[in-house]
Amino acid sequence: MNTVVNQTKLHPYSRSVSIIGVGCTPFMNTVDDPETEGLTEGELFGYATMEAMQDAGVSPKDVDFYFHGQAAPMGSDYITPNIMAANWVGMKGKGSIHHSEACCTGYLALEQAVNAVASGKYNVVLSGCVEFGDAIAIPYKPACFRRKMPMNEFLETTRWIYDKAYTLGMMAGPVINFDDSAEYYARTYGLSVDEMDTVICHMALNNRYNAVHHSLAIVKEDFPEIAKKAGYENIMDYMKSDRENPKMGEYLRLLGTEIKCDGAAAVIVCPTEMASQFTDQKPIEVLGIGSACLESSNHNLEIHATREAVRQVYELTGVTPEEIDLMYINDFMIPSQLVAAEIAGYLPEGEGWKYISEGRTRFDGDRPINTNGGRTSFGHAHAASGLADLYEAVHQMRGDCGERQVKKLPKTVMLRGFGGSQNVTAAIIRTKEA
Amino acid sequence: MKAAKMEKIVKTFYDQLEKGKIMGRRCTACGNVEFPPVFICNKCGCFETEWIELSGKATFQSLMVANGQTQKYQDLMPYGLGAVTLEEGSEVNALIGGITPENAEEYRNKLPAGCHAKIVQRDGYKTVMFEVDK
Ligand SMILES: [Zn+2]
Repeated sequence: MNTVVNQTKLHPYSRSVSIIGVGCTPFMNTVDDPETEGLTEGELFGYATMEAMQDAGVSPKDVDFYFHGQAAPMGSDYITPNIMAANWVGMKGKGSIHHSEACCTGYLALEQAVNAVASGKYNVVLSGCVEFGDAIAIPYKPACFRRKMPMNEFLETTRWIYDKAYTLGMMAGPVINFDDSAEYYARTYGLSVDEMDTVICHMALNNRYNAVHHSLAIVKEDFPEIAKKAGYENIMDYMKSDRENPKMGEYLRLLGTEIKCDGAAAVIVCPTEMASQFTDQKPIEVLGIGSACLESSNHNLEIHATREAVRQVYELTGVTPEEIDLMYINDFMIPSQLVAAEIAGYLPEGEGWKYISEGRTRFDGDRPINTNGGRTSFGHAHAASGLADLYEAVHQMRGDCGERQVKKLPKTVMLRGFGGSQNVTAAIIRTKEA
Repeated sequence: MKAAKMEKIVKTFYDQLEKGKIMGRRCTACGNVEFPPVFICNKCGCFETEWIELSGKATFQSLMVANGQTQKYQDLMPYGLGAVTLEEGSEVNALIGGITPENAEEYRNKLPAGCHAKIVQRDGYKTVMFEVDK
């Protein structure tokens, strides 16, 4: 592989920045439940940011600036949703920026907030993301009027993330991503199509197991129960059934892809040295965030871009893979878990599939990944998912996850963002001891 | 900047396909060939690139059989998907015609395997896919 990937050297932040508060709504299909039908983007953004502010011990008056993320405009029918959001969070008149990086939005929400504080310009910054990935706005009607967006209609909108000069016309880019990383892994480490299929199904099982233990996840029922109801004694017979779990490509199956939904999440950051002014909780320092983008005509783009983003952040921080206690990976196509965890050195190269198949990446395993259930089972409210991962990471690092708390209290966590065909980030966060 | 300096790279590419030619851009400094064509060299950063007609000879290093969602282009079936490298060194993800579930294993066992560019008609424009060498 000699794909051209330009490299960047990261420089240390001008001052240390820490996470002091997080918030997240349930991930849900709002229109499917009378209790949630009619919720608006302002309300979801509001609930997530209110929780983050309360968690951080800050009032809206303390917040100097806010970022707002949304992947696609159909959810709100706005292209400047940050302006409206201020009304809902007590921040009329405050400066803000809206950003949109498709499924990577929530990870870059952290990047932008941290940069804004690290520069010295602002002290307390709020960054929130909201998505109506399922219940979309109806033009000209008040925001509580919504309709369900069928999967086919959603898939049509993914054209917005592919290059129109060549890639859409050449046709491969928009479909190769279903299988690209799975094929790369199987070919590189000598797994057959069937063996890789099994590994992919294990990832879906692990995610589901994690999600059913999480009150905010969109799914409530574990696969073994679902399989039993459908008449399957053996769970793998269910997972590998083309009827129950149809193939999306040669490798990937439906249950290894995202459940699109509605939701919001938020984070508050401030200079590390100021954290104790607001909260008694240990600040979680953002050590660094690597970034790399590769458009969908590029060979094995997830592999190349993840390598570069991870390389940047390890080089900057001096953190070694052995120090990573927990990992979150945007896995709307679930093979991402495996390839990203190995590139980060969180799972041993070429061996990660065994860890996954043995359930060692579940929250109760020794190498936990996506303890919230990931995109395939926590749900994927596109822009908000990155911050939902951060929300989960922060709570695991504080040790307050109860029955789904990972075994060893995580001190250092990596989050691998991915999305928008494709924007890739690798963030390392670490609990700051007093 | 003079408007005359702003060359239409994309339009030229599609116009040349109508004439049966597949064009890339070669860097005048390092020789890297960009396909599909763009105007700055991604390898060395040089601003100067020039048109070059591509031979169409290529190999593919990876192979996925079209199935489910990836069978989107029904009129072009059978095809596979793969990482294609042109003789001139450029890399691109592409459709590879002639790949079937039955013969995929044979090609998978001899990667990188040979293929060649093929101009195909779409709705109102022509584009490039590849075809396995028999
Ligand atoms: Zn060059």
